[in-house]
Amino acid sequence: MAALTPYTYIRCPCSDVSAPGRPLDGSSPMAAAADDNGAGDDDDRTFDPRAPRSNYSLYPLEYLLYCEDCHQIRCPRCVAEEIVSYYCPNCLFEVPSSNLKSEGNRCTRSCFQCPVCLGPLAVTSLETKPDPSLLAAPDNAAAPHAGPYALTCSYCHWTSAEVGIQFEKPNGIHAQLAKLRNGGATRLTAKERKERRKDPAYRTQAAAAPAPATAGGEEGGPSSSAEVLDLETQFANLKAFYQGQLADPNSADSGLAALSDLGFSSPTSLSRIMSIYTGGGWQDKKAKSRVGAMREALEPDEGLQPARLDESAAIDRLRSEGHGATASAAQLRDQPPNLGEAHLHGRARFASELRPIPYLLRTKRSKRCPVCRHIISKPEAKVQTTRFRIRLVAGSYIPSIAVRPLPLSSSSSSGSGGSASGPAVVPGALLEPLRPAHYLLTFKNPIFEPVRVTLGAPARTPGRFASKVTVLCPEFEIDANTDVWDEALKESGERDRDKDRRRRRGEEGGGQSSSNNPHHSQLEVGKIWERGRNWVSIVVEVVPASLRLAPGDPPLREDEDVLEIPMFVRVEWEGEAGGDDVGAAAGRDAAKEAREKRELAYWCVLGLGRIKQT
Amino acid sequence: MSRRPPRGEYIETDTGNKVARKATLVGTQNIMLGGKTVIQPDVMIRGDLTRTVHAAAPQPASQSATGAPPNNTAVSIGRYCFLSRGCCLRPPGRLYKGVFTYMPLRMGDHVFVGPGSVVQAASIGSHVHIGAQAVVGEFAIIKDYVRILDGAVVPPNMVIPSFSIVAGQPARLIGEVPEGGLEAFELRDLYKTVGNNPQPVPP
Ligand SMILES: [Zn+2]
Ligand SMILES: [Zn+2]
Ligand SMILES: [Zn+2]
Ligand SMILES: [Zn+2]
Repeated sequence: MAALTPYTYIRCPCSDVSAPGRPLDGSSPMAAAADDNGAGDDDDRTFDPRAPRSNYSLYPLEYLLYCEDCHQIRCPRCVAEEIVSYYCPNCLFEVPSSNLKSEGNRCTRSCFQCPVCLGPLAVTSLETKPDPSLLAAPDNAAAPHAGPYALTCSYCHWTSAEVGIQFEKPNGIHAQLAKLRNGGATRLTAKERKERRKDPAYRTQAAAAPAPATAGGEEGGPSSSAEVLDLETQFANLKAFYQGQLADPNSADSGLAALSDLGFSSPTSLSRIMSIYTGGGWQDKKAKSRVGAMREALEPDEGLQPARLDESAAIDRLRSEGHGATASAAQLRDQPPNLGEAHLHGRARFASELRPIPYLLRTKRSKRCPVCRHIISKPEAKVQTTRFRIRLVAGSYIPSIAVRPLPLSSSSSSGSGGSASGPAVVPGALLEPLRPAHYLLTFKNPIFEPVRVTLGAPARTPGRFASKVTVLCPEFEIDANTDVWDEALKESGERDRDKDRRRRRGEEGGGQSSSNNPHHSQLEVGKIWERGRNWVSIVVEVVPASLRLAPGDPPLREDEDVLEIPMFVRVEWEGEAGGDDVGAAAGRDAAKEAREKRELAYWCVLGLGRIKQT
Repeated sequence: MSRRPPRGEYIETDTGNKVARKATLVGTQNIMLGGKTVIQPDVMIRGDLTRTVHAAAPQPASQSATGAPPNNTAVSIGRYCFLSRGCCLRPPGRLYKGVFTYMPLRMGDHVFVGPGSVVQAASIGSHVHIGAQAVVGEFAIIKDYVRILDGAVVPPNMVIPSFSIVAGQPARLIGEVPEGGLEAFELRDLYKTVGNNPQPVPP
């Protein structure tokens, strides 16, 4: 079992149905239930980190943002994202959003991923045998080598030549690839398609020869008596057929006039569907005035494509080449749609059908508060810069909580628990059931005001295995953060600070400072363990539950052996008032002097470690 | 061999670099350190793998005039980098116009290279964290604020844009560095915890 590093996850208020500030749908059953049992006050309920709902609301501090207007934590789940810019993760060129509509959401600048392993593909000349260790950079290919070229993976050594895709030029690969089918046949252009439709000689020829796209192995299937259309050709044929139908006034001759207007074969439905799939703008005004049904496509050049259900060729190939020649589900999922392909039915999903994947574009996104709509994070639009215009991260507003095991020798323990006799805790070690263990929680204050922290934790953890929890010092103050310059100046006065720290530790919780060596501090209820410039450490004592199951109990679920403590944190401080828009006009003068009491409260969960299974 | 018995584990330079005596730096004249960089024991830096083909020498005139050797930097490292025990920095090499040559490996500031990792990238930005036992393939380009998790194998020539978290073999994007995760790349505090006079880890 993997060792577990202690962690702290913080719960965003957005998951709390009764939380104020979240627009509630009054009719939602959750909201109603929350009102019914009067559990509107968050403080009254213990948060259960194991509840299925908690999966969606717990985040490490780094992932949380903070809205200065609502004075509330915001998480990736509740913020509203807006795309600032699109870029290719390989060539790092920004793609204007106008291009997205025409070119799609993939890079068109010859950036490709390997269809087998998703590694980057490089253009290599097929003339000189590509040496995998020297595979390379674009100018390597541009140098004296001659074509043909292929895309080669520098990780798994897949090459597009394997699937019969080669290029004449080393540049403009995206455009070249768009015209090529696997096996090397070229994709039909619109013009060619039109010509073929007109030319009866082609059809007989096509019937005799297998479809180019399936050259891999489906020769001789009985279906080859009918023309095999690729997706694009079929679509073009169908479109032409239906357009002809709509334009033809004689098609409106069905008897079932009233009913058929709702069916697929009615002119109105058809023109509506056509305008969806052909990008709008295609409106048949006449159709609205006409009623009646139209006939369906009957021939390949009208777009009829009978399903080819004979898979014997694919089965034969599977027999000869084995499972290894097929593409995995993940590989097929990563494939971009390719309109030049044959129909889905009859395709056998062999690895020879995989194509290089143009890189999906990535985005830079700004984030808005879901409640007040203020922007709380906004990166610079330029791809190559990492600066932010706005970046309100929760880490600059709420204290961070670091958890680490506290090794205690049995001699130094006394006071509170009295039973603190566990062996030194090695990080990642398993917790002994029923034996007290101690953890040090270090709270670090990021703001420039001193804060008062109040902690609440249930005495027993929720869930099947209830461990005992004692927070030895649930109330304390943390000094204000100071800026970097102060810190640098203080660096020299390190020793003074140490003395100061010890003194203050003694003061808190009513004297009785029996020890003045910070390394042998004693466990005492109500006393902080250690204090620094803007941080405070306190001790939590846990008695891990036994994981022993009674006969008939369901087995341990995943991570049920992790000792997790839900903890309610309340932070109070006095901030400068007047920062709010509300009532700014009225009380501006008063606000200048007034210090405003601020408070922020939230649940968090401390993951301490795994309990040993006995 | 030393007349001064108390020798620290590290050599600390004027610019604040802390280089372990047990690190292997080959071709030191071709290794540039920006300062405040930690090089732990058993680290290997191959400064001897210099460029042999000079594509377009920047100032051919001045070189021939002074007779100074061309700029042969093989590995350049910025400030506050941390090279953990047993990692290896090796300039990438390839054929250029038919001749094999190494190209320089450049590394920005605040780059952490985990123990046992091998780095052959062409460039690594600033604020980059490379985990333990990772491999960064030849000519990879890693931008700023990138996290490469333990054991990842970054394929040769891969470009990893800023704010990426990559993992796996081959490495692929598994997440984005959140806005609040930028400060964690700072290595100033870590720098202080290593050397002949290490400071305790701040809380
Ligand atoms: Zn949220
Ligand atoms: Zn690109
Ligand atoms: Zn590959
Ligand atoms: Zn807000």
